[in-house]
Order: sequence, then structure tokens, then C-alpha cells
Amino acid sequence: MNAAVAQFIASYSNIIDLCLLNSLIAYGLFLALSANMFSLATGGFMALGAYSSVYLTMELGLPFAPAVLAGAICGAAAAALIGAPVLRLRGDYFMLATFGFTEVVRVIALNWDSFTGGALGIVSIPRYTQTWHLVLALIVMVYVVHTLRGSYFGRAIAAIKQDDVVAQTMGVNVFAYRLSLFVASGFICGMAGAFAAHLNYFIGPGDFGLVRSVDALTYPILGGVNALAGPVVGAVFTTILPEALRFSNQLREILMGALVVAVVLYLPDGALSVLKLRRRSGKSGSGKVATATPRTKQ
Amino acid sequence: MSVFLQQVVNGISLGSTYAVFAMGCTLIFGVLNIVNMAQGAFFMGGAYFGLEAARLGLPAPLALLVALVGGGVLGVLAELVIFRTLRVRGGHRWMGLVASLALARMMVGIAQEIFGTQVQRYPASTLLDTAWDIDGVRIQLLQIVILVVSIVLMALLALTLQRSSTGRAIRTVAYSEDVARIVGVPVGRTILTTFFLAGGLAGAAGMLLGNLFNVVSPFMGEQMLVKGLTVIILGGLGNVPGAVAGGFLLGLVEVFSVAYVSSSFRDAIGFGLIFLILLVKPTGLFSRFEERRA
Repeated sequence: MNAAVAQFIASYSNIIDLCLLNSLIAYGLFLALSANMFSLATGGFMALGAYSSVYLTMELGLPFAPAVLAGAICGAAAAALIGAPVLRLRGDYFMLATFGFTEVVRVIALNWDSFTGGALGIVSIPRYTQTWHLVLALIVMVYVVHTLRGSYFGRAIAAIKQDDVVAQTMGVNVFAYRLSLFVASGFICGMAGAFAAHLNYFIGPGDFGLVRSVDALTYPILGGVNALAGPVVGAVFTTILPEALRFSNQLREILMGALVVAVVLYLPDGALSVLKLRRRSGKSGSGKVATATPRTKQ
Repeated sequence: MSVFLQQVVNGISLGSTYAVFAMGCTLIFGVLNIVNMAQGAFFMGGAYFGLEAARLGLPAPLALLVALVGGGVLGVLAELVIFRTLRVRGGHRWMGLVASLALARMMVGIAQEIFGTQVQRYPASTLLDTAWDIDGVRIQLLQIVILVVSIVLMALLALTLQRSSTGRAIRTVAYSEDVARIVGVPVGRTILTTFFLAGGLAGAAGMLLGNLFNVVSPFMGEQMLVKGLTVIILGGLGNVPGAVAGGFLLGLVEVFSVAYVSSSFRDAIGFGLIFLILLVKPTGLFSRFEERRA
């Protein structure tokens, strides 16, 4: 029995690592989404974390742990820097601004040859990331999110998600809460970037573009943005599925797309809402309240 | 000087395809208040429809019509299958984004399955080969045709939106869905029309750009989606004239930055620009006050 488990882990360790890594990213986005921030900055944060940590381990010879921490701090610092101006924007403008950030980072990575290796990327990165690192990070993450949800902070965030104007009226500092969540999201994505870089032997600018950012958003949204387990479910689902559909490369993309569409259409509140399908009632149009008009006051 | 003029010529012809594509993006945003991520896939689909039509021996204008209608049908299908279903079921508006991305992914897969992953080219024609040299500035017939077609499409869209009853319906829905319903506008059908128009514009842009560079590939849509998003930020979300101006602006900026700065920083300049604009003037360069338009 034990041997079977060991063999299972050995043969699927890659996928397990990927699932863990993507779950971690999913929580980063979960935090942002919990205050209605549809962030496409993930790719940018991850790139910052990845490149800076690789520089530290490969060029300066620092140990892995401080390098990961530095990567995470880079992500958080970037989030803090762009957060103040970007958080003024609402809805789609916020999304597009974060998208612009990711693309700017990607293009810099593509052109700053001496630091990032340009389009060729950086190869033969030592593989420091162990499965237990990821497990530990994920457990801490889930614990922190769980604790936050029950705290004053969590209730304030829930109020902001419901309606930020009302939350503001009730004395919640919407901007501060949003900024701290955005910085936390940057921290986690930066850390995930550092882990990812030391997992794959290779990083290139193409790894951290729009696709990456959107995939990252897909995890918590597919899993469900209201449940604590949502991000993990979404991440594992979207990571394992392509592997299960390995038999045909093109067919895989088609089926993958079709499955995501099906989940979105039939479980509009995320995959976990399958548990409460029976209580479904017509709440149509509730999402339309959030319009795209940017608000300059705040 | 001739280098400068040459860049102007190239920038305008490139920018006109961006403008056509971005009009579709901004139209959907103006009406539905969502960013349709599958717009790039309609663009790719249109390029293939046009390509197949041209290979069947249809003359270029008819092939363009095929691309336009083909893109429009894709748009209608997307609305019927995904967006309408989502609206009816009351999903969160993020879901539309995720679903349209999944749809785009699916369509790229289907295109690969049908046409293969390799780059394909339009059959040779006089359109592609004729060019003039005026004072060292090379102008291709193709560039002129593309510009003219783009302007015709813009004029048609403007006429439709401003003068026809369909256009009035679209603008009413863009203003407010509830108001539209109260005054008796068939909202569902209007949205369907909007998707047809947006998909058609994307498809036509696909054929135009596919001809300009003479490259058609399953992956061309993703790049274009990024350009389209850039343009609609430049012009202001939901602002059709802004999208046209933004399209030309982006085309010129790209071409000039390649000529005078560095080819590798072409994209950085574009994105730096949108980032700045979002911070300084999030409603876009061409709007004086906040409002939703189509």
C-alpha cells in the first residue's frame, strides 16, 4: 500500500507540484477578488518574483529561502507602488491598468538582456523548490485566509465586496483595505513566481504574460470566490484536466475550453456551488451593479 | 523626410486595421459593459474565412464579405451560447470574461485542428504586388485599398449607429438596458445585432491585417486582442470615435517607435502609454466627461 502511494507520488510529482503552485497563486487572486479587484497583474508580479529570486540564487549565490522572500517582497513592493494610482480606478479600468502593468513588465523582461536573458530567458536554474515548500506555503496561506475571513478585517472586506460606497459610509477605509489586499496578492504572486522559477529549470518572458494572468484568475473564479476551498478546487481542476486530456494536443485545448464554458454556464457561482445548487434562486442581474465608470473621488 | 513619410504611410494603413478591430471591441463594451476576450478569436476566424474564400477563387471584395459575415456569425454564436445564457442565469459579470477567454482558446484549438498550426498566405494577386514609388516613399496598392475599406466600414458603422433604427436601439441599450426595455426596444435582438456587428468588424479586420502582412495563423488573434484593448483604453471604453482615433494613433506610434527608437521596444511604448493614460485620464484621450456611449 505504502509502495503504491510512493509510486503514485513519484510518477505524478510534477503535476502535484504544479497543482500546489497554482493553488498558491489562486489564493493570491482570491484575496484580490474578495474585494472586487479583477487583477491581471499576476503575470507581472510573478515575473518580478521569478527574475529577482533567480538573480539572487544564481548570481549572488544566496540561499533559496531569502531569495524566495526577496521575490515575494519585490512583488509586494510593486503592488504597493502601482496600487495607489491604480486603485483609484474602478472595474474594467482597474483590470486594464493591471493588464498594462503585466505587459510593461513582460516587455522589459524581453529587452533587458543582461538581467533577464532577453527572449531566450534564463536556463538551467537550479531546482531548489521541494514539494514540501509548496505544501507548507499553501497550508500557511489557507490558515491565514481562514483566520482573516473570521476577523474584523474579513468582515470589512466582505462589506466592500457587497458595496464599497456603503462600506465607506460605515467607516471602513476602503482604499486602505483594498491596497493591503492588493499588496498581499502581489506578495503571494511574487513568492509563487520565485517557486515557479526554481521548479522548471527555465524562465522566459513568455511565461508571465496575459495568458498566465488570466489562467490565474480562472482558478478562483471557476472554483468559487465565496468558499475557502474554491481556489484549490479551481486550480487543481484546471491543472489536472489538461493532463488527463493528453491524448490529443489540439483536442485538449478544445475540450478544455468547452469544459470551462460548461462550468461557467451551469455553475455561475463557481464549481463549489454544486453543493448548494438546490437553493438556487433567481438573482439575475446582480452583477450589473458594478459599472465601469471610474470614480475620481475617494 | 522620406523615411518620415514612409512611416506615416505604413502607420496609417496599419492603424486603420487596428481601428476597425477596436470599433468592434468598444461597441460590445459600450452596449454590454463587458470586455469580450473572444474578439481576437473572431478576428482570427475572419482571416481564415477570407482566406478560404480567396482560395475558392472569389474576388477580393466578396472574400472580404465572407470574412465579415463569418466573423459576425461567430459573434452571434458567442452571444447565443455564452453571454445570453450567462445573463439569463444571472452569473457574475466576471464569468463572461472567463467564458469568452475559454471560447477563444477553444476556437484557436479548432482552427489548429482544421487548418494546421503553420502560417498560411493569401493566393498571389495584383493587389499584393502593385506599388508606386513617389519621391522615395513606397506606397502599395494594398495599403490604399485597406485604408479605403477601413474608412468605408467606419462610415457604415457610424451611419448605422446614428441614422438607423437599429443604431438607435443599440444606443438606447448602451445607455440603459432597463430604459430600453421600458420604451419597447427588443433588447435581446439588439444585443444580438451588436454582436453581429462587432464580430463582423473583427472578421473584416482579420482579413485586412492578414492581407497587409500576408500572414494567417491560428495564433494571430491573441496579439490583436492586446492591441484592441490598448486602443479602446486610448480612445475611452465604449467610445466609437475614440476607438478610431486610438487605432490610428497606436498604428503610428508603433511604426514610429520601430523606425526611430528600437523595434524591440515597440510594444513597451504602447503599453507604457496605456498605463500612463489610465493613471492620468482613465476615460481615454478623447472624452471630455464621463459617460457611456456606443
